[in-house]
Amino acid sequence: MADCREQETKKRGIVLYGQGLVLYVLVLSGTLLAAEGNRSERIFEAIPNPRITVTNMTGQILVRGWDKAQVHVAYSVMSPHVEVDTEVVPPNGPADKIHFATHLLDPLVSGKDQTADYSLDVPTGTCLEIRNPQGSVRIEKFQGDDASVESVGGAILVSDFTGHLFVRSIGGNIDVVRASGRVEAYSITGNLHFVSPTTSKLRGSTTSGRILFEGDFQDGGDYSLQDYSGDIEILCPSSASFELFAKTVRGKLQNEMPMTIRHRAATPISSANSLFGTHLTGKATVDLKSFSGTIRIRQR
Amino acid sequence: MEGEEGTFVPAHAAECAFCRAIVADLEALRAAAVELPLEEPSPAVWSQIRAQLVAAGAFTEKTSLWDWFRQLDLLRRPVPVATFACMVILGSLLTAPRNYPEQETTSAVTALPARTAVQSMAFVGDSAALEQVVRQLEEAFRAREGSLAPDLKATYENSLVSLDASIRECSDSLRREPGNSLAHEYLLGAYSQKVEVLSSALEFDAGR
Amino acid sequence: MSQQKRAAPKTASETQLVARAQHGDEEAFAALFEMHKRRVYSLCLRMTGNTAEAEDLAQEAFLQLFRKISTFRGESAFSTWLHRLAVNVVLMHLRKKGLQQISLDEVDSSQDEPVKRDYGDYDRRLMGSVDRISLSQAIAELPPGYRTVFVLHDIEGYEHNEIAEIMSCSVGNSKSQLHKARMKLRDWLRQNEGLMTAAEPVISDQAPSER
Repeated sequence: MADCREQETKKRGIVLYGQGLVLYVLVLSGTLLAAEGNRSERIFEAIPNPRITVTNMTGQILVRGWDKAQVHVAYSVMSPHVEVDTEVVPPNGPADKIHFATHLLDPLVSGKDQTADYSLDVPTGTCLEIRNPQGSVRIEKFQGDDASVESVGGAILVSDFTGHLFVRSIGGNIDVVRASGRVEAYSITGNLHFVSPTTSKLRGSTTSGRILFEGDFQDGGDYSLQDYSGDIEILCPSSASFELFAKTVRGKLQNEMPMTIRHRAATPISSANSLFGTHLTGKATVDLKSFSGTIRIRQR
Repeated sequence: MEGEEGTFVPAHAAECAFCRAIVADLEALRAAAVELPLEEPSPAVWSQIRAQLVAAGAFTEKTSLWDWFRQLDLLRRPVPVATFACMVILGSLLTAPRNYPEQETTSAVTALPARTAVQSMAFVGDSAALEQVVRQLEEAFRAREGSLAPDLKATYENSLVSLDASIRECSDSLRREPGNSLAHEYLLGAYSQKVEVLSSALEFDAGR
Repeated sequence: MSQQKRAAPKTASETQLVARAQHGDEEAFAALFEMHKRRVYSLCLRMTGNTAEAEDLAQEAFLQLFRKISTFRGESAFSTWLHRLAVNVVLMHLRKKGLQQISLDEVDSSQDEPVKRDYGDYDRRLMGSVDRISLSQAIAELPPGYRTVFVLHDIEGYEHNEIAEIMSCSVGNSKSQLHKARMKLRDWLRQNEGLMTAAEPVISDQAPSER
């Protein structure tokens, strides 16, 4: 009898243990699912040069180019009080415009709960516009018409880009790697980093961040980099052919490239450091300005 | 009717009775369409809307006199006017004649592009007025910065600190060397960027 | 938009209401609803021709308004912005229903009928006033595509370039569809005696022909 009771107790224990385990797994799954958020994925047929806009608050946005005449989007939100609006124009047939916008169903949702992450694959020739004030943006292998990216504090990384790129982040760092076409990058406190651009026109400006340019200058290209207190550093190959206009008010000018110094007719600023010269045949135009930061031109 | 239609149709209608009748009919039709009365939806429409919004917890409760005051949004209206005035004054300073030798500029002056709708225009102003406009924007920003997310607020603050430092330095430079055009360029650029940063912060707060 | 638009007057109080509604103030939102409900509902009703659908769509338009009001930046009049939002809600609904009214570029001109010449038929012309009740009914009878363009242009006052943008068609198609809509309405009103007064007879300059 005692044995039976003992066995009964054991059985009950096992059952309870099993139930507890199941409950634990369920709770854990629920937690994980909640942590993962609500995920959606869609594919839209698109015309050759669609216009895509993404308006987000915080989260990661990743955009990649692909060779299909489709727009593939996957997005996930952290909170059930956050929704992604999708507007497709026209709603039937290949899309001409697609707008994605994250909005709050509850105005009290704040912080990380506002997070929405996007991943998009877009066709060649896309015109792209992204606003992600508190989140980061990454664009890869994009062959488009126009891309405009704006953030306040988020970092922006663009690589293997073709087209006209406009990037602005007030406090975030901006990295542009292997871009061709036209590039404009602006920040106030963030750093700018350009790697191997093959652009015809490049503009970069930051107030207190650093600017680092690594690469060659295209023949006929126009490069303008401006900093206030941060340093500007150019690392270019010995074969780079450019005409240089470099000016700084209170900063230093350090040049390692052999230059043919040119004397200009205009009166230079008396207290400024400036350098006007040509390296090799001067095929590209490079304009560097700083107020108190150091300007360095070095050979890679 | 525009273009050719605007002259051809009335001229033809004057001569062709049939077409004249059609034109008259269509005009009567259009006049009637404009005058169609507005219809009233049933009370159920609002009830449904309200029920859904309440269920979603969409409405906030007024808690204090200060909240009521903030909701009046009195500080919002000066922003676009102040921003425009600032850009106008900037434009005037850029285009105003200077007393020192011409300094060639090899590229555009703008530090941050005017991606807002405001464009600089030729107008007479002075830097004191510019400072005042920036100050107004700053006051509006300070009044509402509490409503910004902490990391966002920190980003804006850091950028403003950086810009203020550059404004101070450039102003010092110009006091010692009034003919320093690069310092002048940077000073105006810093003000322009400050306007853009403050506008961005105010726009962000308003647009949440 | 053209002067035809009967936009709600933009007053200082509306600006304040919008600002308060952006902060989740129920009272402010209710006031905005009261100010604009008739125009939004009328638009929905005229574009769908169905009361129940129109109420659902008006409801959806205001719900979307609440969701998106924080994005309103004052770049246009609030009523204009709301109105455009309502138009989009209705158009999306019509498209989901699969009604062929959006692809205005796909015009089947083989169905075009020439305007009939009714010589000596002066007593069946519309000249003069048009019965508004009949007109409302006639509009509801229009095919969806014609109805949309007619409502947007002649009633709501959108210009053709705006309609073209809204409906992703060309300006030429918008004009063409509008003309056809008007002619259809004219024919319907004539057939259903939707006229109120007959004008003085029109002297035909050609001999009557067989109808």
